[in-house]
Amino acid sequence: MRAYLVFELRRLIREPRMAIFTVVLPVLIYTISSGSSGDAGQVGGVDVAAYLMVSMAAYGALVGALSVGIAVSQERASGWLRQLRITPLAPTQVVAVKALLASLLAIPPVVSVGLVAAFAHGVSFSAGQWVALVVLMWLGSLPFAAFGLALGFTLPPQLTQPVSMLGVFGLAFLGGLFVPVAVMPHVLASIATWLPSNRFAELGWSVVAGQAPPVGGVAILAAWAVLFGGLAAWAYRRSAALR
Amino acid sequence: MTEAVRLQAVAKNYGPVRAVDGIDLSIARGQTVALLGPNGAGKSTTINMLLGLLEPTDGTVRVFGGSPTEAVRAGQVGAMLQESGFAANATVRELVELARALYRDPLPTAEILATADLTALAGRRLDKLSGGQTQRVRFAFALAGNPELLVLDEPTAALDVESRQAFWAAMRRYAATGRTVLFATHYLEEADDFADRVIVIARGRVVADGSGADIRQLTGGRTVSFDRAGTDLDVLRRLPGVVEAETRGERALLRCDDSDSTVRALLADGHSWRNLEITGAGLEEAFLSLTATAGKE
Repeated sequence: MRAYLVFELRRLIREPRMAIFTVVLPVLIYTISSGSSGDAGQVGGVDVAAYLMVSMAAYGALVGALSVGIAVSQERASGWLRQLRITPLAPTQVVAVKALLASLLAIPPVVSVGLVAAFAHGVSFSAGQWVALVVLMWLGSLPFAAFGLALGFTLPPQLTQPVSMLGVFGLAFLGGLFVPVAVMPHVLASIATWLPSNRFAELGWSVVAGQAPPVGGVAILAAWAVLFGGLAAWAYRRSAALR
Repeated sequence: MTEAVRLQAVAKNYGPVRAVDGIDLSIARGQTVALLGPNGAGKSTTINMLLGLLEPTDGTVRVFGGSPTEAVRAGQVGAMLQESGFAANATVRELVELARALYRDPLPTAEILATADLTALAGRRLDKLSGGQTQRVRFAFALAGNPELLVLDEPTAALDVESRQAFWAAMRRYAATGRTVLFATHYLEEADDFADRVIVIARGRVVADGSGADIRQLTGGRTVSFDRAGTDLDVLRRLPGVVEAETRGERALLRCDDSDSTVRALLADGHSWRNLEITGAGLEEAFLSLTATAGKE
């Protein structure tokens, strides 16, 4: 299983699209949005620059985590996953490696947006806060990794990409990553608090505010993780039974 | 355990379509067996069931005494599937190293690359290979773990004549080490040339099972043909050893089960003929008549 993980990691690093979507894009959006709103002022008890940093890192993490589902769908269509099934590598190990890769892709946007925020926008945290931010947002990306795998094991490649993008955009928008929940209309704001994207970003917002994430938020995120995990497992078994 | 593979009354339905319709067969260890049949005969379905990729609708599949999945997990099986793609962004060598890491007792990398004729391409990205090169990579991937049973589905489909010969030479070397090889093909000469045993499948059933020579014999041996120069067809039909006679323009074609007697009679009786030709019926004709018979049922 380690050999397979190393093999997959090496492939991931060589994929230039990965770097564009998980590093360049979130940094770009962060720079533009914080440029237009300015770094002054506060949202939800946090400086705007820091708040936006978490929002954009979370958005990039969503893109990264769901992108592995797109790769799964392509590998399913090309027959590579079928080829792996006739090796001693257990299918559950393949799925586990894919889920791990998906969650790892949540880290580059957090780090890169964090660096830009620290050096260009005067955001400063303790070392402990940085570590907490990266670790929490890595673990918190698991529901999205599972969501991506569920899509990848269900849909053909032509559909997985647009549906994933739609999912990312919808979750990001409705979850308050582009527009803060505080300024959303009442109905949208109440929807937002039930979404995993909002509760995922909340992990980061709590860290930058110097607080522990609220238990209720973590519980909602965990519930989504269980739901999407179950969906991914079901989708995997169904796809394996078909072919 | 001298048996590598056993299929008992194995059937597979896809909805209303019965792709495999009750196959019984047993393959001994060390045999090289060809699964021969036209497209849609059920070869790939049979192979997929043998590898645990498909569950049979009825019947049981046993590989080395256990379920196919158990044999695959134990590293006893290596397989080359039709049309299976490889991950992009990896090199040939990385893929071979991955395969080696997954099996307990793999072949040395250099040997795998040399056997599949990939030594010069080891550093090449998998998405930058031609069809024939990709096919060789599939072979290398199947071979890498040094499996006891090697299953190849249409292994030479994308290869040109030269690589095809190289491929079979490599396959023979592998089979010579006592390994069991099962390959599906619709290239009739390949089945005849490279397998100890040919199993002909048509419409999901085994229609013939034996050596290449056995299968040829099932439909009569050879065809004797010549320009008949006016000789009456009925006369030719009564020659010894002739099963069937027909004309194609000036040319007489005699299907014979004992062509030696036919030719002897042709010489002795003073019939006039020119441009005599004797051809083996070949697996091709045998195959066509066998599969046609299966279709009439």
